[in-house]
Amino acid sequence: MDISRNWLAQYVAIDCDIPTLCDKLTMAGIEVEAVESAGTVPAGVVVGRILERKPHPDSDHMSVCRVDVGQGEPIQIVCGAPNCDAGNVVPVATIGTVFHTPEGDFKIKKSKLRGVESMGMMCSEKELGLSDNHEGLMILDSSLKLGTPVETLFPGDTRIEVEVTPNRPDWLSMWGVARDVSCLLDTPAKLPEITVPECDIPAPGLVTVEAPDLCRRYIGRVIRNVKVGPSPKWLVERLESIGLRSINNVVDVTNFVLMELGQPLHAFDLDKLEGKRVVARRAKPGEEITTLDGKTLTLQERHLVIADAVKPMALAGVMGGEYSGVTEATTDVLLESAVFFPSNIRATSRELGISSDSSYRYERGVDYDMASLASDRAVQLILATAGGELASEKVDVNSGRPAEKVIPCRFDRIRSLIGAEVSNERIADIFRKLHLKVDDVTSGGCTVTAPLFRLDLEREADLAEEVARINGLDRIPEIPVAAKMCGSIREDAYQALQTLRDRVIDLGFYECMHYSMVNVNSALADRRFRREDLIELKNPLSLELAVLRPGLLGEMLGTIERNISRRNLNLRLFEVGKVFCGNAELFPEERFELCMALSGLRQPERYSAELKEEYDFYDLKGALESLFELANVKRYKFVAADDARFRPGRAAEVWIEGKKAGHFGELAADLTRGWRTSYPVFAAQLDVEVIVNADHGRSYYVPFSLFPATSRDVAFVADEKLEHGAILEFIRRSKPADLESVRLFDIFVDDKLKAEHKKSMAYQLTFRNAERTLTDAEVNSRFEKLREKLAKELKVELR
Amino acid sequence: MNTIIEKINQALAEAGAKAAAAADAAAVEQIRIDYLGRNGLFPALSKEMGSVPPEERKDTGRAFNTGRNKVQELIDAATARLASADGGSGEAIDLSLPGRRWKTGRKHPITMLADECVAIFRRMGFIVAEGPEIEDIFHNFDALNTPQDHPSRDPQDTFYFNDGRILRTQTSPVQIRVMESHEPPVRIVAPGRVFRRDTPDATHGMNFHQIEGLYIDKGVSMADLKSILQTFATEMYGPKVKIRLRPHFFPFTEPSVEYDFSCIMCGGKGCPVCKHSGWIEIAGAGMVDPAVLKNVGYDPEVWSGYAFGMGIERLAMLRYRIPDLRLLYENDVRFLEQF
Repeated sequence: MDISRNWLAQYVAIDCDIPTLCDKLTMAGIEVEAVESAGTVPAGVVVGRILERKPHPDSDHMSVCRVDVGQGEPIQIVCGAPNCDAGNVVPVATIGTVFHTPEGDFKIKKSKLRGVESMGMMCSEKELGLSDNHEGLMILDSSLKLGTPVETLFPGDTRIEVEVTPNRPDWLSMWGVARDVSCLLDTPAKLPEITVPECDIPAPGLVTVEAPDLCRRYIGRVIRNVKVGPSPKWLVERLESIGLRSINNVVDVTNFVLMELGQPLHAFDLDKLEGKRVVARRAKPGEEITTLDGKTLTLQERHLVIADAVKPMALAGVMGGEYSGVTEATTDVLLESAVFFPSNIRATSRELGISSDSSYRYERGVDYDMASLASDRAVQLILATAGGELASEKVDVNSGRPAEKVIPCRFDRIRSLIGAEVSNERIADIFRKLHLKVDDVTSGGCTVTAPLFRLDLEREADLAEEVARINGLDRIPEIPVAAKMCGSIREDAYQALQTLRDRVIDLGFYECMHYSMVNVNSALADRRFRREDLIELKNPLSLELAVLRPGLLGEMLGTIERNISRRNLNLRLFEVGKVFCGNAELFPEERFELCMALSGLRQPERYSAELKEEYDFYDLKGALESLFELANVKRYKFVAADDARFRPGRAAEVWIEGKKAGHFGELAADLTRGWRTSYPVFAAQLDVEVIVNADHGRSYYVPFSLFPATSRDVAFVADEKLEHGAILEFIRRSKPADLESVRLFDIFVDDKLKAEHKKSMAYQLTFRNAERTLTDAEVNSRFEKLREKLAKELKVELR
Repeated sequence: MNTIIEKINQALAEAGAKAAAAADAAAVEQIRIDYLGRNGLFPALSKEMGSVPPEERKDTGRAFNTGRNKVQELIDAATARLASADGGSGEAIDLSLPGRRWKTGRKHPITMLADECVAIFRRMGFIVAEGPEIEDIFHNFDALNTPQDHPSRDPQDTFYFNDGRILRTQTSPVQIRVMESHEPPVRIVAPGRVFRRDTPDATHGMNFHQIEGLYIDKGVSMADLKSILQTFATEMYGPKVKIRLRPHFFPFTEPSVEYDFSCIMCGGKGCPVCKHSGWIEIAGAGMVDPAVLKNVGYDPEVWSGYAFGMGIERLAMLRYRIPDLRLLYENDVRFLEQF
């Protein structure tokens, strides 16, 4: 909402400057969002007299003037205005003056215009922000002292934009804000005197309320013989000061009172109401109304309308109808001041997509008592600005004044909630200054009666907020932080997840973060899922982003492709995040997944042969092995897999402690089609829970031998299908005494071997005993035995 | 001076000359063999020690030891000289060539800030609690005292599923879940992902991350809340950062506040980051509303407490001066490697 400082000052004396006022408002909960000084003439603009006008030697429309600005020598100014005649007294922006415009700051400098020096600028009203008049220079009173700052002649207004929280609809008016300002500045707030001529002309049937569950109060009265026309200047200026447009005097009064008192009003053209009466009723199903903005709406019973004897004339509390408003032709007016229940107005406004200054206030709740006062105020102002005479009694149809809330207040409880020392007297004083009624004050507490404009006050905690707010949140002391263990809660998976992330980062991967909502194609790039396994949003932001990600692969593919297209080709990426599955047979609804991706050069910073090294399958396998090693995962294995996400023969399942933990491999060609990279792309998708459950973290100390080791090499030719793992397993099972390790150090295939479907392999076996040095003879004998066994049972040809 | 000492002095002079002249490792080795080797001079001299008169033995022995050590030093120095002359071993080093870089990973800025917040609150005795992201209306709204027709429930703002559940719009339902299942006192912090139906732009995303704190105990006041927030600000952004509480409104707290940090860019003097106000809005907090306590079966006459929340993206953007939130979800490696 916008507040005009000058308007506000009509109700409460503001004896502080704008920054102080804004700070006080913000610290009281009326948050100032923006401050705009409207019609404020910048410093540096002074009163000057044109002494001489000469034509510009090089321009038809410009003149060269000598101007006396009250100090020193007259200055030369080049001017394009038609009325820069000698003798005129005008505003002169001297060098250094800064104009603040929406397009940015504009500083007056010494300049040359078509070759002639100019030492300032003479201004129009528009240039000074005083009006839209730009036809010529502003002509000032010739009796003014030259050199007088023009800003002192036109002390503009300041528009303050505030954010009002939904619990404080009473702040949605100048008077409402003034009430709090009076408390903040400790000075009384006063409404102007509101007087209405006596009128008791009966108006039976003028107002009927058929839906008292939606309309709590309806005040109607008739004013006849108004003369609709332009509003007086003061009214136009008030409205413009907060950005409202003037329409005509009657409508302007209703808007003015709305902004002044926070009570929405509506003026009907009485002659356009069938039966010359209004009915507040539910719409008939299918009934139509055309609103002020020209939209035709089809209504239902849930919508409250203000109808005449026949049809709806206004969408109650939201917007008037197109045909019943006050125009130049109107002579008789029915003035509405009503109280509608908030939730119905809110529902209607939201459903139909219409909001207005009225609906904004109704849906937050208006003051029951204010409806009557506002009606009086509007009558007073209409009579004053549009003439006419009050022609009916004040018809007030209502279902009774709501009871005011009486709230017991314990001073100790208030202090203990806000944690600050505030005296009993101060607490009671704050309540009174906020226009709350304080009774039964004892040494322990009081009762507070909340007026009807403070519907937010219901409980002691609400009163505590008032004390905290007005006493000042900055006066709440800081006390030492008392850390406390509340041991009943055990921390869950967060630490484990943190550890897993840290481990993957230790391996050299960069962490990514993607949105949880994805498009269906991205989701189904993870081929483990079908369309019906996905969890769909009922109201996605766009059809593109309609499902929750079932896995992390889809968005990771997008990130890889985006990086590749930006020529970031060397990628080590990962994400740990929640994924969602709608098929309980596959996965739980929510679980965490780990996705890793690898592509590009291993050593892009190096040169020659090293530069050519590309990440391959074994790099990703090695990353997983290192991860499991860091996590001290005891039993894991990789099993060849056939998986549509990966290239055939380039995919593996990962098993950890007998549970399937996920897959990895080289991405399938159709997933990487069109990517501008020649490097293969590898990815892994792993179930976080399986890894975390197998993350044994710590390990126990195992003693190691301090005696020397002895190594022997064995080389053989084997069938090309014989896997390294099978050889390791064979050696392990043969259990040669003191064998410490087996290391593959060469695989070799030449044309001849290839033709025979064979390969040559070489292993180094290392023997070591924990308690003594092994003799050559011992080692040789064990080694020979193993060689023989290999030849015989694995059918390899020793070399 | 006896003959042995003379021989030692002579040997030292010779060995010094030979060591200085040695052109390769073999020459140095020869010096070792000649003087210290099994058949070298010093072993031979040691055999003669027996013939030295007793009164001279002490000096002779000292000269012998000093001499032998001196020869060893000459050999070591010659070895070192030769080693440095041929550049240690193998090729010469070009220091300007790139080193072989070790692979170092990077933590995402959001994770970094979340972990940092968690660490700070853990130090103050908060325990991490978590909850589901697909949440029900009760935990996300009803139990948090959100009016039935509150705009935040609107499908304009909240993602719904066909079964009536939603994507949680805040981490606050974790408060409810913890209080439902635990007796007070409760002191938790809940980091996590939340969802709002906002079109992504420089400061909004469809999902973002929050961290939320809750402390319920006997006699908890706004002074406790203020102190926790000030301590957090100090730990996070340094001792110069001050906090400011402003009155605000949330359905689940009363009194409610918003809190600001003094601008970490300009120190409060005013700059474009703080829009010349000197303050940066961080988030909301307040004393847990009695209605919320009642909803979880806590007696508001006995227990009171505070809750606070903040957006992790916002903290990360401030910490790393990231101008656009979308950069955080784009995952360009040139972005990721900066942190």
